[in-house]
Amino acid sequence: MNAPPLAAAGAPERRALGFLADLSQSLALSLDLRQTLALAVPRIADFMQAEAASLFLLDPAGTLECRICVGPVDITGLKLAVGQGVVGRAVAENATQIVRDARSDARVNASVDAETGFVTRSILCAPLSTAQGAIGALEVINRRDGGLFDADDAEILRVIAAPAALAIHNVQLAHGLIEQQRIKRELDLARKIQKSMLPKRRRGGFPLIGVNLPAHEISGDFYDYFDLADGRLAFVIGDVSGKGLDAAFLMVRVASLLHWAGKHAPAPAAWLAEVNEELCKTLQEGRFVCAVVGQYDHASRSVTFASAGFPPALLHDGGHFEELPADGPPLGILAEAQYAERRIDLDARALYLFSDGATDVRDAARNTLGSEGLRGLIARHAALAPEPRLRALLGDLKRMRLVDDTTLLLLQEPCGQSAHTLLELKFPARPEQMRQVRASLRTALDSEEVAPELRDKLVLAVDEACTNIIRHAYCGGEGETIALHLAREQDMLVFELRDEAPAVDPARLKKRDLSECKPGGLGVAFIDALMDDWKLEPLASGKGNILRMRKRLIGVGEAE
Amino acid sequence: MSNANNECVSETLGDYVLVRLRGEVDLSWSQQVRRAILDALGASGKVGVELSQVSYIDSSGIAALVEGFQSARGKGQQFGLVAVSQAVLAVLQLARLDRVFPIFPDIETARIG
Repeated sequence: MNAPPLAAAGAPERRALGFLADLSQSLALSLDLRQTLALAVPRIADFMQAEAASLFLLDPAGTLECRICVGPVDITGLKLAVGQGVVGRAVAENATQIVRDARSDARVNASVDAETGFVTRSILCAPLSTAQGAIGALEVINRRDGGLFDADDAEILRVIAAPAALAIHNVQLAHGLIEQQRIKRELDLARKIQKSMLPKRRRGGFPLIGVNLPAHEISGDFYDYFDLADGRLAFVIGDVSGKGLDAAFLMVRVASLLHWAGKHAPAPAAWLAEVNEELCKTLQEGRFVCAVVGQYDHASRSVTFASAGFPPALLHDGGHFEELPADGPPLGILAEAQYAERRIDLDARALYLFSDGATDVRDAARNTLGSEGLRGLIARHAALAPEPRLRALLGDLKRMRLVDDTTLLLLQEPCGQSAHTLLELKFPARPEQMRQVRASLRTALDSEEVAPELRDKLVLAVDEACTNIIRHAYCGGEGETIALHLAREQDMLVFELRDEAPAVDPARLKKRDLSECKPGGLGVAFIDALMDDWKLEPLASGKGNILRMRKRLIGVGEAE
Repeated sequence: MSNANNECVSETLGDYVLVRLRGEVDLSWSQQVRRAILDALGASGKVGVELSQVSYIDSSGIAALVEGFQSARGKGQQFGLVAVSQAVLAVLQLARLDRVFPIFPDIETARIG
């Protein structure tokens, strides 16, 4: 616009500036668009000296709708396509439109006049422009003085449209954000509800452990286990086709159905057949569910199960894997589908059931892990007790990229899981004894297949602890003893040293900084560096101390 | 010596004294090792400790080496470790001393310094 500079501006320009300031301020006051715009549009009509004014906004579907309208004809709710009419064109071209003579202008939609009898003479329409393009348009019709809108009027409308566009855009962004937060809250809630449907982890030698890793907020996978009246344990693992919300809702339904149908201990094949029949009646076209159902008999250590299109189960004896493929099609496809079932004497072996998310994880090069890769991971952690093994496996999968919901169920009798003693020694608290103590320790650690490098470090730490007791607790006195107890608790080595020396104040034991070079004080620093944790407890009687040191074994022959 | 397998022998090679250790260096005889090293430093300005036959060393053994190193440095003497076994190296690394001591692969290199 070739407007005169402000200092030289005349009364009309000053009036426009004042109006613009008031309008901007009123638009900025509230996030309630309907209210602020309902007040703003009549003011704009008055300022522009127009007979009618209307404001159109683009809806999410890309249609323009009249949201506010003043004037003799109410066109609120009128819908236009982008590009249609003067308003549609202003938005399509993101440019102000001037119609000097409406009767002869092809852009003008004559149908409103024809219906209402209103005579449109002259139109101005400015787009509501944002960085993302036009989000609507502001239209004024017919000058009240009977004249035609001119280029100056068009420029003024364009200037007025700017704060309106900004205010509307801000409100839309704010509403979008609020909506996003609302959806996130609801998804969080949905995830919590889903998670609460998974069975609680049971401790104390329970043979089933499950994990579920949703690829997104909510999962289409599930697992379940529950006690049967006859003492056996029923279990279920499933994967609903598709991802996201609809799969998650279906998962809730299918999980309930499988639980309900399995309560009375049906044979697994019949169990699947019953749920399949029900799902075939109600599942939407193209939806299906892969699942395994089964029962474990603790007394005979045998498992009976049937698979409906689920990835092959893996049976692992610590060395060799056996693949057990599905016994029938996924649920919800063929109403008359028949399922076979198999019975396996599990003994000490492990049965792994996993949804295809576990084999679909991608490495850094975007290669899928595959069944072979998953078996490699399982083998790597085979020496661990079931629970730490599943945790280690999960850690490996999480380090890769999950592309689908991932669920694992591990069935294994947890034998030898509790603590067992590896070494028990009582010896005189004298330095000459240590050589033999170290030799015994090495043998005990070798029997647990601790890697030589780690073994030597653990021997060093125990030796340092003993010589500290000899030197500092007993102060080199004669006739005193130290008791060493080494136990394995699952994947944890627990070293315990007991003495009968006067109580030692644990606060006095400070490890020195390894970065300084000096002869003394290395012992505690070694223990601290080599063990996962350690704790010195003076006995309440004031005589005797217990030092407990722990080290987690990462895997067979594997040091940290 | 507390054990037949442990041994601490000092050899003089011209102006160089080499303290040869063997066995498991622990609290039971690390004081002997310490004495032998300090004696060697009293006798010569160039001392090395040969460790190829040491299968174990504890913090008291490491302390004896550190004391020798610090004493030599204070007097401007030459002190180094020679043919360090893997077992000793692992403990030196743990104590972050593997880059503090001059370490030589064999006695010839050690004598050149």
